[in-house]
Amino acid sequence: MTTTDEFDNLSAPLETSTSPALKFEVFSRCSTTKARASKMHLPHYTAHTPMFMPVGTMGSIKGITTRQLETLDCHVILGNTYHLGSRPGPELLEKAGGLHKFMAWDRGMLTDSGGFQMVSLLKLANITEEGVEFENPHDGKVMMLTPEMSIGLQNAIGADIMMQLDDVVSSLTTGPRVEEAMWRSVRWLDRSMKAHKRPTEQNLFPIVQGGLDPRLRTLSATELIKRNAPGYAIGGLSGGEAKGAFWRMVSLSTDILPTNKPRYCMGVGYAEDLVVCSALGVDMYDCVFPTRTARFGNALVRTGSLALKQGRFKDDQEPIDRDCDCPTCRTYSRAYLHTTVTKDTTGCHLITVHNIAFQMRLMRDIRRAVIEDRFPEFIRDFMQTRFGKTVPRWVVEALQSVGVDLTVADEKGGYAATVIDDDFQKAPNV
Amino acid sequence: MTLRFELKGAISGAGDASGTTGARMGRLVLSRDGDQAGSAATADTSIDTPNYLKYTRHGLQPHMVREVAAELEGMPAATRVQLEDFLADELPDYGKLGDGMHEFIGLDRSELLVLDTLDPTVPGRTAKSSNTFMGIDSEGGTRRLTAEVFARVADQLKPDVVVPLADYVEEPHPSLTQGKRISKSVSRSCKWLEEYLSKRKHAAAVFAPVMGSHSTGLRDISAKMLAGLDEVAGYVFNDVSLDVAFEKKLQLVEHSLERLDASKPRYMAGASAPDSAIRAILRGIDLVDSSYPYAVTEQGFASTYVFGGDSAATGSAGHVDLWQESMFSDFGPLVEGCSCYTCRTHHRAYIHHLLMTKEMLSTVLLQMHNMHWYQRFFAAVRESVGRGRLQQDAERFFERYCSDAGCAAFGELETLGKQESSPTTKIQRKRHAEQAQ
Repeated sequence: MTTTDEFDNLSAPLETSTSPALKFEVFSRCSTTKARASKMHLPHYTAHTPMFMPVGTMGSIKGITTRQLETLDCHVILGNTYHLGSRPGPELLEKAGGLHKFMAWDRGMLTDSGGFQMVSLLKLANITEEGVEFENPHDGKVMMLTPEMSIGLQNAIGADIMMQLDDVVSSLTTGPRVEEAMWRSVRWLDRSMKAHKRPTEQNLFPIVQGGLDPRLRTLSATELIKRNAPGYAIGGLSGGEAKGAFWRMVSLSTDILPTNKPRYCMGVGYAEDLVVCSALGVDMYDCVFPTRTARFGNALVRTGSLALKQGRFKDDQEPIDRDCDCPTCRTYSRAYLHTTVTKDTTGCHLITVHNIAFQMRLMRDIRRAVIEDRFPEFIRDFMQTRFGKTVPRWVVEALQSVGVDLTVADEKGGYAATVIDDDFQKAPNV
Repeated sequence: MTLRFELKGAISGAGDASGTTGARMGRLVLSRDGDQAGSAATADTSIDTPNYLKYTRHGLQPHMVREVAAELEGMPAATRVQLEDFLADELPDYGKLGDGMHEFIGLDRSELLVLDTLDPTVPGRTAKSSNTFMGIDSEGGTRRLTAEVFARVADQLKPDVVVPLADYVEEPHPSLTQGKRISKSVSRSCKWLEEYLSKRKHAAAVFAPVMGSHSTGLRDISAKMLAGLDEVAGYVFNDVSLDVAFEKKLQLVEHSLERLDASKPRYMAGASAPDSAIRAILRGIDLVDSSYPYAVTEQGFASTYVFGGDSAATGSAGHVDLWQESMFSDFGPLVEGCSCYTCRTHHRAYIHHLLMTKEMLSTVLLQMHNMHWYQRFFAAVRESVGRGRLQQDAERFFERYCSDAGCAAFGELETLGKQESSPTTKIQRKRHAEQAQ
């Protein structure tokens, strides 16, 4: 499944940023939306953006070999610092020569700071100026994760991109705590930058915080860009907030962040979110959703998701997706997959392979559409396939903000969407 | 489609000259020319015996999707599939589902496909059969498989080899089993075979189960009946549910072999472990299956056993346990010098980490190694048979890995049979758990 390089016919980048361990080249800009197509040269690999990064929490993507990942055209994968820090631990990873060598992956890698897991997985996380205090689930001892320790762990893991430890508050939190966390995250960034020992081999990305408050988001982004980092993340979202607030925070952030540097929207992975956020100028995404949902037998398609366990697939001769060229779709019918999903590990692997291929193809299609300057048409086709006549309000409004109005019929097919208030699709559009 | 078996004659010193018993070498040749009008002539598929059929679950080798299994070299082009894996729902109309089971499970048409009824790794079955149907446990309840339905499904699935349904007797305590039950099993199986042969339209090669359990008299009756059927192209020995010592099982198999056509191939289920396979091959078995490496993988082990040659380096355990703490920082391959994908790409410390963190990639990588190792073992065994040295080489092998008390080194299948769920995968083996109770 090697792809032709969608950048093949482009000679010179429109704009570039260069830092010791990262060179970002914007090759193409959508003439309507804020989308762009770029190359990100990392120490281990040159990634094409916008891109989706599958999550390999423990140093493997669920049941998939690194060779399969290469064939699936994955450019960058994500590892979780909190998990890897406890098992196998930084000492062993250092001895192994970093996580790349430990897991035999020689393309791009990104690690989070560990802070998100502190707050989401652990009951007793107490945040002080020093760091995050938590109870070790293995022995019950109270421990502390500081910005310096997070960077120490991430330096041992050796990923191409590291994330700063931030003071994570739920996106549903309001009041002074949000502002406190935003400012503390800025202070922790400064400590992280100071603690970073491998600046020529690894990149440190700051994280824009500020909850759902435009004023705080603006302050945060403005403060962070003074640090001249190789790239920036938009954090604290995808935590159950209303989608109307979500896209406005993303768009506000990309308006402030420098155009010649990569922007990473953390925890985003639903297809419609990827299309909308790319239109808002985001370049990088990660999410456990595609690989997690595969284990429950759910295969991703442009119209939504197929729960292959359901009896209606028992006699279905079609592949998951006729247009998908992944090994699973080339070989298996839904009827076959119905017999094996959630029963055998291979049933799980087959869907995982497809779901990763689905994400990669979507991102490739986005990049191509941007490069060929037909991204608005792509968005219209995509949303029509995904939602049919009725499209969630947040999608319509987000796209209107960048010059694509789904409610106005286009010349080609006459498609015009009706706005509904649901944030999510309830059933696949079949 | 034609399948022929070319016997190279009895070579091992242990057997008799006719090849009735004792180790022998042969070749299964599958020829597909003229299967479909207008299709290009395809090369024959041949499988040198003694060898193994690749064990599968839902038509795929455990843990390995096709592009992963493709990393393995030298595997025999023969796959076994059990119909019981597809019985959780009411049987679909496979006739509508493309061109037979090869297409359904994504198996290359160059592969020999053997369709059996039961999974050879599952002991302790509860479903009862009657005169008219074979009872098979499934997640959807007991399925009643009649010869007529089996013939229809087998016609739709178009396997190359069919092992027809049979009334296998559950015998945890053989001394208690009444002769009457075994007698019934022989006559039912005989009747079902004849019914299958009369109802079927697709001419798959038939490998018929040889019945009779621990009754030599009833084994005679079963063997005599099968020996008289021209349509029977091979024999299957499946005494997985008979709880007697393996050596005793082999005596029973040998007893039957003396009454069967020696020119036909013989497949024995439940003889997959290296020691069992060697003993079976010494008695004249041609085919076993690869359920053993799967069982090794499920324990979190990597195979290290060596047949013939110099093996002083690998110890007498036959495997390394990747769960051991000492693996934590061991950056060596599973086996030094091993050429499999896993050993070329990864080290023990990584596999140990994957096991400790319950990552599914652990079993994928172990299964690749264990299958590679199993294939190597069979290549060495065939070479030994070819040189007429199997008996001597086998003795050295048993000295190394076994004692008078048995072969503790190769007990993974027994362990697997008793486990409620695999220790290395999150997916519960529910069906097995229910039956073990």
